[in-house]
This record gives sequence, structure tokens and C-alpha cells, in this order.
Amino acid sequence: MSALLEIVGASKSFGGVFAVSDVDLSVQPGEMHCLIGPNGAGKSTLFKLVVGTYPPSAGRIVFRGSDITRAKPFARVGRGMSIKMQAPSVFKALPVRQNLHIALQDHVARHAIGAEEDRLLDILGLTDDADRPAGLLSHGQQQWLEIGMALALRPVLLLLDEPTAGLSPEETFRTGELVRRLNAEGMTMLIVEHDMAFVRQIATGVTVLHLGKVFARGSIDEIVADERVAEIYLGTPHGA
Amino acid sequence: MLHLLNGPQTMGNGRAFWACACLVLLAALIYPVFADPYDVGNFAYFLIWVFMALGLCLMWGYGGMLSFGQTFFFGIGGYAYGVLSVDLGSAYGMALGNFALAVLLAGVAAAILGYLMIYGRIGGVFFGIVTLAVTLALAYFLGQTAGPEWAIGKARLNGFNGMQGMSPLSLPWFGGDIDLEETPLYYFVLVLLVGTYLALRMLVNARFGNVLVALREDPQRTELLGYDVRRFQFGAFVIGSMLAAVSGVLYTAWGQFITPASIGLPAAAMPIVWVAFSGRSDLTAVLVGTFVLLAAFQTLTIYSEQAALILMGVILIVTVMFVPHGCFVGLGRIAAWLPRRGRTVRRPSAEVG
Amino acid sequence: MFADLFAYFYQFADVFAFLVLSAAGLAVIFGMMGIINMAHGEFIMCGAYATTFAYHAGLPLPLAQACGAIVAGVIGIILEAVLIRPFYSRPLDSLLITWGLSLVVTQGTLIVLGSSMPGIGTPSGGFHIGEYGFSTYRMILFAAALCVLGFIYLLFKRTRFGVHARATMQNAGMAQALGVRRNRIYALTFGVGAALAGLCGALYAPTMTLIPTMGATFIVESFVTVVVGGANVLLGTAPAAVALAITRTALNGLYGQVFGQIGLLLAVVLIIRVLPEGFSGWLAKRAS
Repeated sequence: MSALLEIVGASKSFGGVFAVSDVDLSVQPGEMHCLIGPNGAGKSTLFKLVVGTYPPSAGRIVFRGSDITRAKPFARVGRGMSIKMQAPSVFKALPVRQNLHIALQDHVARHAIGAEEDRLLDILGLTDDADRPAGLLSHGQQQWLEIGMALALRPVLLLLDEPTAGLSPEETFRTGELVRRLNAEGMTMLIVEHDMAFVRQIATGVTVLHLGKVFARGSIDEIVADERVAEIYLGTPHGA
Repeated sequence: MLHLLNGPQTMGNGRAFWACACLVLLAALIYPVFADPYDVGNFAYFLIWVFMALGLCLMWGYGGMLSFGQTFFFGIGGYAYGVLSVDLGSAYGMALGNFALAVLLAGVAAAILGYLMIYGRIGGVFFGIVTLAVTLALAYFLGQTAGPEWAIGKARLNGFNGMQGMSPLSLPWFGGDIDLEETPLYYFVLVLLVGTYLALRMLVNARFGNVLVALREDPQRTELLGYDVRRFQFGAFVIGSMLAAVSGVLYTAWGQFITPASIGLPAAAMPIVWVAFSGRSDLTAVLVGTFVLLAAFQTLTIYSEQAALILMGVILIVTVMFVPHGCFVGLGRIAAWLPRRGRTVRRPSAEVG
Repeated sequence: MFADLFAYFYQFADVFAFLVLSAAGLAVIFGMMGIINMAHGEFIMCGAYATTFAYHAGLPLPLAQACGAIVAGVIGIILEAVLIRPFYSRPLDSLLITWGLSLVVTQGTLIVLGSSMPGIGTPSGGFHIGEYGFSTYRMILFAAALCVLGFIYLLFKRTRFGVHARATMQNAGMAQALGVRRNRIYALTFGVGAALAGLCGALYAPTMTLIPTMGATFIVESFVTVVVGGANVLLGTAPAAVALAITRTALNGLYGQVFGQIGLLLAVVLIIRVLPEGFSGWLAKRAS
């Protein structure tokens, strides 16, 4: 069996300090995988290695069978990744519909773009706001719009960095439902998250990072039951 | 293709707009019938500059790259046309060939400079100062070329006094070339301008323009949508710079001279003033605004060139301070808003969750 | 042998002084405020004119030159409050506004004061080493350039004002919360930058013809020095000036002034292709 995304021995150091050190991780087709860990665990750094914001200091990243360790972000997207970064970064001055259009235009035949925009607007609950500048949407709506833009690229792997950051509990729940629905339709996902309620809601395979290393792996139930994980989250004086 | 004439990146997509545009074009077409050929020539002179303003509009307004190098490429185009037409002559349609070659040469220069800057990730204010430094250096260099050793073939560069004696543009025709001066030149420039304007409208409303405005808003996000941002910036820079060269060639052909003064300061500031004043985010606004500003500038120059330049400086300051979106973009928005006000009941604001 | 070496050094020192003096004011304002002052050349012109007026009014040259710097500095502080302050967060807009200002000032001076005015004349002292003759004033300019670099370093590293200015540059909001008065810091920084530009004009006033467009003579050199130096003035300006002066001196010697200028520019474009954040960005990265 071949993994869709495979990270082998990835490390990243900043000025001699390892933010990520010798991490292995693989994501199978159809899987929804969560990357969790306390603040400073290296989740975001690992995510950025996958996105290609910067190259790893050591290790390899393989996506759909080809080595993308040094590929630029746009090239990775071209191979079928799609990325939603942590802070919502929609095109604030452009209308919501045009935001989607820019994402769709390379992936859908021209005559079908309009209908596809409508479909996505409906899924995201943004139909009434289609012609408003995206910057006027609420924080939660901007998050969803960005997920919509990520989906518009027709990815085979969706990467989400803290999709619930700054959302209300109700918005978080709706995001969870959206993510579950996408996975049920067959979308492979890698999600960085620290909201444990959200991770439990979407009930996936979990990798726990701590101090830049893989600390534990398993299903969400196993992880929740693991006392050592609770310890690193609550913080004990000298670790395990 | 034609559906791209209208779209989210251009103001004036309705029937009323196109009806007005056709009327204006019609008026422009019959204008020479009623006017003195000398005035027609002057009118053509205003149109000549609009190309470089449209080029800057594409780079700055749509692509977010503030280039101060429009007169650099203007100069390359103008001087190249001058040298080519002196050395190669202009018979049998060669004038148009020289035109194309000169613009192409400016395109090559833009590609080199653009590659070094854009792929060197020079952005923001540095993009402006590097382009300006290159521009001023070209003006300085051409000012030093007074001696007879500064010649390319038969073409003397002539230092501060500038090049002279190149032939006007001419069209090959049965039974002898038609020289493009005064009225014929006017029609030539008008057709070229209308073509350029429509082509740019299609360009900015097409895939290319969508990506361009996206990267203006947020380059990182645009890259994460799978676009090689730098390729689009590079493309816009080369196209915008070549349009400046079109202005340069037409200017040189119009007056049959070009001097380093049309490259250096204060000339280099003029495209910035036109585009900022008109409203950089829209092609139509820049087209109209540039024309109006040039007419005003030219009228005032007759009395005092210094006063005209001071006015340009004041306009730049006042525009940036009080009308940052530009005057003609503002007018366009008001025009788009007025008729709608009467017809549609504004829907209660649709705030959702 | 020594005479030859000194002649090379003299050429280098001349170019170095020109780069440092013309760039210092621009670099301070850009480094501390993130604003490119397009009217930089006009502040230089202002310093030169004020010096000349003061000199013709009977002041000795050094005092007249001090006047030039002070006048430019005061005008800078006033303009900062009127035109620049609303645009701290929009560096491109402040660039456009100062460019508009530059147009108005140049052309206004042309109208008011005419196209040229009687100059001062270069102080004539000189000295000989071997068979070569050298101008003392050029060496004074070199010393002045070193003093300006030292002054900038001390001002921003060793004084309370400098610490506050650097804190404001790093994080204006946090500095304000700690009681730094941002507006005053920016006004003074802009004033210091304008005064340094004025000093450049004052120092070069005796060596060149006074015309309202004289600022343009300095502007390319000041731009490229700042671009190559990068955002951090304290770290970048001096090495940038050294590198560019060596390039320029060598090219001048080999191919003449015109190619010196063109070659300088090519060097700059190539340097920024390799070091997009300039020398200071590169040095900062190496240090971390």
C-alpha cells in the first residue's frame, strides 16, 4: 500500500534550535489525520514543511510517489495539495464570488465555473454574501470561504492549519460537520489543531507532537486515554 | 473572447457605458474633419502618452508593482526607433518594422530588469527606487553622449540635445508609402489606442488579470492557490514596460526628435501623477484622466513650464492625501451608483451569523 | 609606490565620501521610519543654498555649512508634521507625497531664485605626495563622511533618543505602551535625516554649480547605497558604501566616469539579486 503523503525523518532547525526533529508521518488515501500537541510542539513548523514555506534541514517529503522536498508551494499545489493557512487570508478587497472564481478558474471548464461557484457558496452558507467584499465577512465566514477556495482546487490532499482558530463554539461545531462531510465524500486531510473538542468531534487518527518529536500516535480514543499525553498538555516539571 | 471586455476588473460594463464609449469614439473619428491639421497633430500628441499610462496602470493598479521606470522604457523605445530609422531607413513598411523592433528591444530590457528584480524578490518601495535609479542612470548616460564617438551606425546620439532627423512612421501602400503625420498619424494612434485599450480590458478580465489582482491583494495566498506569482508579475511588468516603449516610439516619430530630458527627472514622475490622479485601479479611468491631465498640462506649459510642473506636484500630493483611489475612479463609482439608486430597492443588509 | 597607493586611496575616499554623505539622510529616515524620502535631493539642495546665502552674508564657511544643515533639519521637522505624519502606515503613499513635494520645490526654486546662483568656490588648499597633487577639501569630505557614520552610530546606539527610536522602529505600538512618544521620535528622526541631507548639500556646495535641480546629482548614489545597505542603517550603510566605492573607483579608473556610473548600477542590480535584503539583511542572518 502506498501513502499519499509521506514525511521521512523531517527536521527543521532555526539558528541551531530544532523546532521539528526527525519526524516520520504518513497519510493514507481517504484518511483524515490530525496533528496535535501543546504550544511550541512544532505542529506549525511541520505544517509549513509540508506546504513548502521553507525546506527542511533534513529528511524527505514524498507526495503521490514523487519527492517534493524542495518544490515551491505553487508546484505542490499543482500536484494536488490544497492549503488553508491558520490566519484567514482571503482576498479582502475582492467580492466573495471572485475569491472563489480565482481559485476555480484553472480547475473547472469556463462555462461551468458559474454553477460551481453557486454550489460552493451554498455549501459554505455564503450565497447571500456573494457580491460583498470578502473583508466584510465575519471571521468564521472568512475561514469557511478559505476552506471553499481550498476545495475549489479539486485537491487530493487538503491541509488545514487550525481551521477553528478564533471561532465561536457553534462555528467550531459547524466547521467540524463540514470537515466530516468532506472526509465522508472521500477527501484526504491533514489537520493541525489544538482544540481537543474539535478533534474528538471529527474522530480521526491522531499524531501528538511534543518538543518537535512524535510523542504518541493512535486513534483519538487511545490518545485521550493516554495519561502521558494529558501530562504534556497540563505540563509536568520534567516530562516523562 | 469578446465577453472578457466586461468583467469584475473593469468599471463600465453596462450598455450605457458602451453607448457613451461609442459616441466618444465617433466624435474622435470625425474630429479631424472639423479641425485644423495642426490641432489634430497636437491632439495625437496627447494620445501618444496614454499608452505608457495604461502600462503603468496594469503594473501598479492591477499588479501592485509601482514602477518608476516608465520613462526608462519610453526612452529605450524612442532612441531605438530613432537609431533604427536612421540606419535602416523607413521605406517599404520598414518604419513599422522599426516600430516593432524598438518595442521588442524594450521588451527584452524589461525582461532582464524584471527578471533580476522580481526573481530577486525586490518589492514595495525598493521596486520603485531600483527602477528609478536605472531610469536616471540612462538619462545621465545619454546626456554624456554628445561626442561624435557616440554613434550607432550613422545615428548620432547627440547628448543633451538629443537625436534628430529620424523619419516619421509610414504605411506601405500601393504607389508609395503614406507618411504618418498630423491627420494620418492621428488616425493611426487612435486605432492603436482603441485596440490597446480593448486588449487590456480583455487581459485584465481574463485568467491573467484575475491572478494579477489576487497577487496584488495577497501574494502568499495566491501562490497557495497554485499560481507561480512571479511569472504573472514578470508578465505584467514586461507588457506594461513595452507599452511605455510604444509611447516612446510614437513620440519620437511624432516630433522626429527625442532628448534625455524625456527620460530623467521630472519626466519620470509624470506617469505616476497621471495614473495616481486618474485612479490606478481602472483602465478607463486612467485613459480619460491621463488625457484630461495632459491637456491641462499642455495648456499651462504655454505660459510657464515650471508652473505646470508645480501643478503636477500639487496634484500628486493632494490626490494621495485626499482622494487615494483617484479622481476618475471616484467619478466612475458615483456614475455607477446614481442610476441604480432610483431603480432597485436596496435590500436590507444581509448579515449572516 | 606609496604615492600610487595613496592616489588609489584618494580616489576611493572621494567616492566613498560622496556615497556616505549623500545616502546618510535617506538611510536614517528609511531605516528608522520605513519611508523613502523622494524629496531627499531637495533637502540636499536646500542645505547647499542655505550655506551659500549664509556664506555670502559674511559667515565663515564652516559656520555657514552648519547653518545649511540646521535649516534643512528644521524644514524637515515642519514638513514631517504637515505631510508625512498621516502616512506612517502607508510607505508607498509617503513616497508619492514626497515626490510631489520634490517637484514643487525644484520648480518653485527655479521660479523664485532663477536657474543658477553665484557659488562659493572650492577652498583651494592642497598637498603633494610624490608627483601627485591632492585637494585638502576632498580629504575633509572623507573625514566628514566618517564623522557622519560615527554620529549615526552613537546617536542611535548610545543615546536615550536612539534607543527609543529603535524601539519604535521595531514595534511602534509596544514602544508607545512603554511611554515612548512616537510622534516626537518620528519628527526628530525625520529632522535628523533632513539635516544630514542638508549637511551633504552644505559640504558639496563649494564644489559644484548651484542649480535647483542639483539634488538629482546625488539621488542615484543615495538610492543605490540605501538599497544595497538594506533596512538597517547601523549595519548596512558603511559596508554598502565601501563595496560600491571600490566598484566605482575601479570602473572609473578602467573605463571612465560614464561607465563608472553604469557599472555601479549593474553591480547594484546584481547585488540585490543575490542579497535581496541588502548587506544588513545578510549580516543579520549570518549573525543569527
